[in-house]
Amino acid sequence: MPVCDYQLVVDGELGDDVGRAFAGMSLNRENGRTVLVGTMRDQAQLQGVLQRISDLGLTLLKVSALDDEPPF
Amino acid sequence: MPDLPPPISEAKLAAPRVRANAVPPPRILDALEGVHEAAVALVAAPPGYGKTTVVRTWCAQRDAALAWVTLDAGDNDPTRLWSYVATAADRVRNGLGRRALQRLMVPGASIDFAVDELMNALATFDQELVVVLDDLHEVTDSECLSSIDYALTRLPPSVHVVLITRTDPALELAALRAGGSLVELRTDSLAFTTEDASALLVERGKIDLGADDIETLCRRTDGWPAALVLAAVWLDRVDDPQRAVAEFGGEHRFVAEYLSEVVLGGLDDDTRGFVLRASVLGRFTAELCDDVLERSDSASMLKQLERSNLLVTRLERGGWYRIHPLFAEFALFRLASEAPGSEAEINRSAAQWFLDRGLLIEGIEHAFAATEYGTVAKVLVEQHNPMIRSGRSRTLLRYIRALPGTLIFEHLELAIAGAVATTAVGHGALERRRFLQLVRHAQESEPARVSRYVEASAAAARAMAIEPDIAEAVREGRHAVSLALAGEDDSVVFSLSACAAALYFAEELDEAWAMAMQAVERPDIGVRPAGHAMARVALALVALDRGQLDTARIHAETAKSLLGDIGSSRSWLGAEAAAALGSVNAAEGNLVQAEHELAHAERLFRDEVATVQHTWLLLLLARVRCRRGRLDVAEAGLASASTAIRELGEAGRLQTLANEVEAEIIETSTRAGSGEVTTPPSAAELKVLGLLATDLSVREIADQLFISANTARSHTRALYRKLGVRTRADAVARAAKLGLLEQTESRM
Repeated sequence: MPVCDYQLVVDGELGDDVGRAFAGMSLNRENGRTVLVGTMRDQAQLQGVLQRISDLGLTLLKVSALDDEPPF
Repeated sequence: MPDLPPPISEAKLAAPRVRANAVPPPRILDALEGVHEAAVALVAAPPGYGKTTVVRTWCAQRDAALAWVTLDAGDNDPTRLWSYVATAADRVRNGLGRRALQRLMVPGASIDFAVDELMNALATFDQELVVVLDDLHEVTDSECLSSIDYALTRLPPSVHVVLITRTDPALELAALRAGGSLVELRTDSLAFTTEDASALLVERGKIDLGADDIETLCRRTDGWPAALVLAAVWLDRVDDPQRAVAEFGGEHRFVAEYLSEVVLGGLDDDTRGFVLRASVLGRFTAELCDDVLERSDSASMLKQLERSNLLVTRLERGGWYRIHPLFAEFALFRLASEAPGSEAEINRSAAQWFLDRGLLIEGIEHAFAATEYGTVAKVLVEQHNPMIRSGRSRTLLRYIRALPGTLIFEHLELAIAGAVATTAVGHGALERRRFLQLVRHAQESEPARVSRYVEASAAAARAMAIEPDIAEAVREGRHAVSLALAGEDDSVVFSLSACAAALYFAEELDEAWAMAMQAVERPDIGVRPAGHAMARVALALVALDRGQLDTARIHAETAKSLLGDIGSSRSWLGAEAAAALGSVNAAEGNLVQAEHELAHAERLFRDEVATVQHTWLLLLLARVRCRRGRLDVAEAGLASASTAIRELGEAGRLQTLANEVEAEIIETSTRAGSGEVTTPPSAAELKVLGLLATDLSVREIADQLFISANTARSHTRALYRKLGVRTRADAVARAAKLGLLEQTESRM
C-alpha cells in the first residue's frame, strides 16, 4: 500500500488529552463527532490507530482513504 | 538439572470479587445460561461493557468450580498461555494441571500433548468446571489460537469455557456455532436498558433522579455500562444530580472522557494523585503501590477506594486490585498532561519491583513500557538459557525482536539466544541467518568484544543449521568442538553433535562417526538428551550410508525415543530424527512408514528460504514416492528441490542425491509408460487398483471391498498381468500414466 491520507470519524467530541493518543493526526470536532485526518505510512500504522480507537471504547463511524478518489 | 518453573503471577489467576453493589441485570446473566448445554460461551464487546463482571457473577451464581485466567500480551506464547491455564486448573484441585505442566516444562514440547494431558485430567474432575479466558483479544499468535481451537474440540462434557474478548477472536467458532455448541453474548445484550440504569443509579445508588434523567443518561451513553457506572460515582457526589444530568445531556464531549474527568475532578488531591499513578500499573497490590509510588498508606487508600466507589476492584487472591481498564486509559491522559514523565518513571520502578520478585515477563513488559531497553537486554542476557530450556523460546524471540538492533549488536549473547530460539520455534531460517550474520559482523569488526562463549555458540549454531553452506558449517563445527574441548564446558556434547551433522552432509563419514561417538561417550550425555539425540541421528545416517541397516535403525530409534521422552518430537531435532528413521525405513523397503516419517520431517523443516535440511527432505521424500509409483508428486518434489539447490548454490551431496532421484523417476516412468494394454481391467479390478494407490495392505483392501483376501489377490495378479508390471508401485505408476486412477476415483 502506498502512503495515503485517511479520514476517520468517531462518535463524541474528543478532548485535548485524548487527542494526544492520535498524535500526528488533525482533529476536528463538530456536532458531537470528531473527524481525524492523518497520513498513514502503511496498513500497520492504520491498524494501530484503529486499535487505539477500540481501546478507548470509541465508536468508529467512518473510515476512508482520501486520495484514491478519481480527479473528476 | 531441570529448571524450576517460572514464578506465577497471582494477579493473572485471580478473578475479581463479586460485589453486591455491582450485580449485572438478571436478564444478562440469564443469557449466559445456555453455556450449560453449549460448552463454549463467547462474550465479545468493546471495553466497558461489563464483560468481566457479568461472567464473574454468573460463575458465582452457578456455584461451579472456576478456573480463571486473565490473558495479556505475554501469553502470545503457547507455553506460557497453557502454563497459566493448567495452573488455574491445578488450583481448582491439586494435581489437575500437574501432568500438563510437566509436559510444558520441556523445551520444544508439543503443545497439543499438554492440552491432551489437561483435557484428560479435567475429564476425571467430577463436578462442573468453568474455565474463563479473560482478555482473549490480547492473544493474536496463530499457534496459541490453534491450540485453543484444539482444546475447544476436546472439552470433556462437564467443562465449560467462557471466552471474554474485545474483538472477535480468529478461532474456528463457525463449527461450534453451527453445532449449537456456542452461546454468544454481545454488545447489544450487554448494553444497559433504562430499567438497568435505573436499578444501578436510583435503586442501588440512591441518587435522586427521575425517569427523564435516566432516559437522558441512556441516550447520551448508548447504554454503555462503564459510562453509567462512572455517572453513578460522579452523581453520588454532586449537590444537584438532576441539573448535572441536564448539563451532561447537552454536552457533546466523548462520554467516557467527560465522565472520567468529572469523577477525577471530584476526588481530593491525594486520592486523585494515587488513582492517576496506580492507573499506570493496571493491577497492583498495596505493597507494589507503596514501593513504586513511594507511599506508606496504599493499603488504607485501596480499601477506601474500593469501599467508596466502583473504580477499583479487589481480586480474590493475593491482595491484588485492578483499576477499571477503560477508566485507567483516561486517567493516563490526565497524568501525562499533569505530570509529564511520571508514567515512564512508574513503569521503570515497577519493572524493577517485578524483576526483584522473579516475575520476569511482568518486569520486562514494564521495562519496555518505560523504553528501558538496556534493562530488558540485561535481563535477557542473564535469563536466555533458562528461558530456552523451559520452553519460552517464543517469548524470548518476541522480546529480542522488539529491542533496537544496536543493543543486540552490543550484547551478542542476544544474537546467539535469538539464533537458538529460532531453531527451537522452527520455520525461522531467515531470521536465524540475520542473527548469525550480526555475530559474524562483530567477529570481523571488533573481535576483541566477542567472548569465547559467543564464538563457540555461534560456531555450533552455524554447524547445526548448516549455515551459510555445508563447507562453512563443517569449518565452524570443528572450530566449535575445539573451543568447547579447550574450555571443557557445557557445550561439548552440543558442539560435537552439531559438527557430526555438518560432516555427514560434507560426506566426511569417518570423521562424522568419530565425532558423534565421542559425543555419545561423554560422561554428561545422560543429562543432555537433545545433544544426545542429535549425535544418534548422525550415527544413524552414517551407518545407513555404509549399508549397516540394523545399526542405523538402533541409532535412529534411540534418537526418536530420546526426543519423545522430552516431548520434543516437533522441534528441529524431532525433524532430524524423523528424517533418519524415515531413511532407515526406506532402505528396508517399508515405504509406507518411510513416507509417513519423511513427510512429517519435511513439514517441520519448511521455511521461508531454502535450507539444506529441507532440500534434503524433499529429495528423500521424492525418492520414496517414486518407489511407491506416485510419479507426479515425486516429480513435483524433485523440481522444488532442484530450485532450492540452485538457490543454495550447493552442489555436492544434495546434487548427487538429486541426480539419483531423477534417474529413478525416469526409469520408473519409462517402465510405466511402455507396452500396450490390450485387455482393459474389469470394474472389480479397477476398484482394487484404486486402493493399491493407498497405504492399505491387501487384507485391508479386501475388507474394505467386502471380498476375501484371496479374491483381492487374484484381482491384483490379473491387474499386474494386464498392465504388464511386476510390483504394486509399478502398477500404481502405470495406472496413473494410463489415467486409470482417475476412473477409479470418479467411481468412489
